[in-house]
Amino acid sequence: MTHTLHRRGKTEDLQEDFVLLIRISRGINQEGSEEKMQQIWEVISHYEKDLVNFGNHNPNWGDGELYDMEALKKASSRIIHVVFKDRDKLKACLKEIKERDFGISVVVSGLYEETKKICSEIGLAPHTVNNSLGIHGNVDRLPGEDVLEIHTMCGHAMVSSNLIQHMVNKIDEGGITCKGAAKKLTRMCDCGIFNTYRAEKLLSRMTSNKPS
Amino acid sequence: MLIDKETCIGCEDCHPYCTVGAISSVEWESGNVSEIDQAECVECGACFKRSGVCPVDAIYMPKLEWPRSLREPFSNPDVKHPSTTGQGRGTEEMKTNEVTGRYTYGMAGVAIEMGRPGVGTSFHDIQTVCMGLAKLGVEFEPNNPLMELMVDKTTGKINPEVLNEKVLSAIIEFKISSDRLKEALIAVREVSTQIDTVFSLDLISRVDSDGTMPNLAIAEEAGFTPRPNTKTNVGLGRPLFKEA
Ligand code: SF4
Ligand code: SF4
Repeated sequence: MTHTLHRRGKTEDLQEDFVLLIRISRGINQEGSEEKMQQIWEVISHYEKDLVNFGNHNPNWGDGELYDMEALKKASSRIIHVVFKDRDKLKACLKEIKERDFGISVVVSGLYEETKKICSEIGLAPHTVNNSLGIHGNVDRLPGEDVLEIHTMCGHAMVSSNLIQHMVNKIDEGGITCKGAAKKLTRMCDCGIFNTYRAEKLLSRMTSNKPS
Repeated sequence: MLIDKETCIGCEDCHPYCTVGAISSVEWESGNVSEIDQAECVECGACFKRSGVCPVDAIYMPKLEWPRSLREPFSNPDVKHPSTTGQGRGTEEMKTNEVTGRYTYGMAGVAIEMGRPGVGTSFHDIQTVCMGLAKLGVEFEPNNPLMELMVDKTTGKINPEVLNEKVLSAIIEFKISSDRLKEALIAVREVSTQIDTVFSLDLISRVDSDGTMPNLAIAEEAGFTPRPNTKTNVGLGRPLFKEA
């Protein structure tokens, strides 16, 4: 799964979009990992107020609210997703995970230049990198770039282009706020990787009517 | 996915939720109701429980028979592939590479995310790309769920029974030595003109000890521009894979 790799947008927008992906390796460090993953959730909970979104790939049908951190600290997670808008908060969280030496793989998804800096500031080095080489093929079938920026924040494509446009229209009509629309969109993404904060800002750029 | 026309009140609330725009209004007895285009529907479940949008519970999932049944695991992230265990709908690719050693120095991993973002793909198009790559003798990732449908790994041919099926995405993964990467990426570019869908393209590299990734320059030579955002494994998994 490469569902966080193809996020679009200008560099300055991506400065507010970092995802930590933490996962066990099947059959290698899986044994005894349940407790470690719970401990990692405990570390992440120190940053709860700084998180934009989080989850462990369980269904998120809770009306766009964040997951229940207390439940996640007791859950059986094979994967952890956490979205930060502030690179310094991500850095602090990553540093704490590093110092606890859980032995579980951690991936930072976001701007590479920033990721490299974060790594060097806390004594880590990039080991393996997945680069996005963009979108190819019959690109005439893609929606406009503004819709695509929101759409690609759920790499499983559960937040449909039509739904994004529908929300823009509803905001224009005064039927919903940008914040409310972003919450409705994030609800479609089960993995907790959708950046609701950034979506709200992008929606606000796409609409003429901006109710608070 | 189906809509029970007797129950549907034609409110159209479900239409924008469809990931591939397969729901439309049709005339039915006394008024308009909604209908799902069965050729286009990829069985992703977005209109159903995930959205919970229908006020009268008119949307329902029938039992899917082969080969239609394969649409669901390739489209709905909550549904596991029958062939994989645990969490996986795909592989761990580079997320655990410091532990698995899947990608080593001098190698490149390439993933072609067919149908992404949000367009969907037929297995005809998937086969076209696989056949274009098989000619180069690439090493397809054996644990990828697509491999169960590839009847001939040397030609890239897909089981003919599934060619007309449509899914939201399917990831073609392969490894190749860096000195053959340019050739492979040029083949990817060529085949991209022969399909009716899109794909997102991934390039995976082990970072050299001096912090560089020679694969990036090769990608640029082949005409691809890496985006500024990446996924970076920061090497915290244990035990560490010992590289030669
Ligand atoms: S299951 Fe998915 S593709 Fe099919 S109608 Fe519902 S939203 Fe559309
Ligand atoms: S939401 Fe339900 S009632 Fe409304 S059009 Fe769709 S299927 Fe019919």
